[in-house]
Amino acid sequence: MDIIAITGIIAIVGLALGLLGIILKIKDIMNRPFKQDLARERGSVGRAVLFAFTLGMAPWEKESTRIHWIAYLRGIFFHIGIFMAFGVLLASPWLEALPSWLVWIGAAVTGFGAIFGFAGIFMRLAGPNERVLSLPDDYASVFLTSLFITLAFATLLRPALLPAFYVVTGIMGAYIPISKIRHCVYFFYSKFFFGKGFGHRGVIGQPKGKYAE
Amino acid sequence: MFNEKFTDERFNLTDEKAALAIDVLRQRLNRQLEASLEVCVRCGVCADSCHYYVSNPKPEHVPAYRAEQLRKVYRTLFDPVAGAAPGWVGAAELDQEMVEKLIMSAFGSCTMCGRCVINCPMGVDTRHIVRTARAMLTAIDMTPEGLKATVNVHLEEGNNMGVTEEDYVETVEWMEEELQAELGDPSCVIPFNKKNARIVYTFNPREIKYFPYLIQAAAKIFNAAGEDWTLSTESWDATNYGLFSGDDVAARQIASNLEKAVNHLGAETLVMAECGHGYRSQRWEAENWIGHRYPFKVMSFVELQAQYIKEGRLPLDPTRNQKRVTFHDPCNQARNGGIVDEPRYILRNTVMDFVEMEPHGVENYCCGGGGGMLSMTEFAGARKEAGKAKADQIAATGAEIVATSCHNCLDQLDEVKRHYKLKVKIQNLSELVANAIVWPTPPEVEIESPETDEEASQESK
Repeated sequence: MDIIAITGIIAIVGLALGLLGIILKIKDIMNRPFKQDLARERGSVGRAVLFAFTLGMAPWEKESTRIHWIAYLRGIFFHIGIFMAFGVLLASPWLEALPSWLVWIGAAVTGFGAIFGFAGIFMRLAGPNERVLSLPDDYASVFLTSLFITLAFATLLRPALLPAFYVVTGIMGAYIPISKIRHCVYFFYSKFFFGKGFGHRGVIGQPKGKYAE
Repeated sequence: MFNEKFTDERFNLTDEKAALAIDVLRQRLNRQLEASLEVCVRCGVCADSCHYYVSNPKPEHVPAYRAEQLRKVYRTLFDPVAGAAPGWVGAAELDQEMVEKLIMSAFGSCTMCGRCVINCPMGVDTRHIVRTARAMLTAIDMTPEGLKATVNVHLEEGNNMGVTEEDYVETVEWMEEELQAELGDPSCVIPFNKKNARIVYTFNPREIKYFPYLIQAAAKIFNAAGEDWTLSTESWDATNYGLFSGDDVAARQIASNLEKAVNHLGAETLVMAECGHGYRSQRWEAENWIGHRYPFKVMSFVELQAQYIKEGRLPLDPTRNQKRVTFHDPCNQARNGGIVDEPRYILRNTVMDFVEMEPHGVENYCCGGGGGMLSMTEFAGARKEAGKAKADQIAATGAEIVATSCHNCLDQLDEVKRHYKLKVKIQNLSELVANAIVWPTPPEVEIESPETDEEASQESK
């Protein structure tokens, strides 16, 4: 077996463990009771949930993201980098067949994603609040994910680095369910509940009411 | 640094208490709570959304830090790595030190106003986390004394200030007389226990004890609108401090007392006085505590006043309110209840010069008096300090009057005003509305009063 096959297995096993862990986490939360809301609706839950997952995430929509727009945009580019790195992973058996324009787009997105990822570690260390709030797992998670994006970037430019990319993918995959990276699962729940709760009360994502100016 | 006022023995954690608190956490762990406990990435952008942080920027005032105290306990129970490496994932046992941190963060520096929830990019519901922590502490008898007493008095006396039925009825009757005298209209009444009236109205006991003129204002509005309304003597307190203590059993009992009173009178709508948390409790939480839907509608007096104006039922003259007015949105009505346009609509129709404070509406800062803070004297200093964000907002408007529609806000704003030396008057919305009402000249009526006649005849002699 060559090095690519061995490291490919490491990646697959790591991701499979990660997927299994995520499934168990989803099973856990689905086994919890769901808090029904018996109060009469004041607004549309559907509109608010849609808002929570779309315009509600725009950087200008919340005061917090307007103030901390650098931190917010850093996070956005970091996560776009993560998605692109997974794209690189899926395309990895055919990297050499990819058109060069696609390789350059991928490299640009992952390159910036990696920079913004590592910048997250720096910002945690530099910010007094962030330093107090951050746990060792936060640093490890951001570092590992940033490394994953970095190696996606490097592999696009030098396909010989593919084994390293696979190894880091395997490690990160296995680490997902036991680390803060698992927020990727809970994000969808919390955003849904956010939209549902505030939409039910007519607080967010609603059309103008009859008393509006 | 634990508050030196918590020296009572009941604040000592025993093994039994720790087990009970953990049990409460396990019982209350639903999907919503688990999502909020798991999803935080500790980015810290929630910091500036908290009035405690804005007034005194320190890491302990960051909402994520507060929630993190309960998360540490949660991780010990549910995180797969916590057993092997608790420090790595920030897990901690529920010991004396942790209980003290929970008291300080859940009771001492959070009003559960929800501003951080609206501002969290991940959708973390810190209100829910903090209320869960309060529920755990209340279950082990570690609620701050004032809050505990407020709930207990309500359960024992039927209202949170222990007002007797006699005092309640006498105060209302006195206000009825005052209203009739003010308007020269004896047809203005404040009815008690009127069967099948359309509306049952409630009060905050503070109105009965300290602000009876607000009873008069409400009665003036109802009478001007020609409403079919009544008060109940069975249950009339709009407040429910079970919301703040996290005690769902007490909250359920208090809410169901009011439900029974409305059902006995056969009203179709329960109108909550201008009381932020009372509205939130009865309108949004109570049916979930009780476990069934009410057969009647619940609405805020603010909504009803806006409705009257929209329907042309209140003849208003805004020139009677000439001074510049700004409005403080009570968190439990605006952010946690969706009542944002109504007070503005009311003010546009009742005052000459309305100016918004910034930010306002859903993004308004908490005044610092929410979450039961006014009852917890242990944290009075921090509460006043946290009011700085509001004081700065008010000062920037140049307003002479700050209107609001919540009694806790009213009291806190009054303290903020004195503490930060603001030259403003704090008023309830209904006071401004009542003041703007143009009362029609009553028809000539002969008042038959034997006593008066007798007195008059004696005088003439």
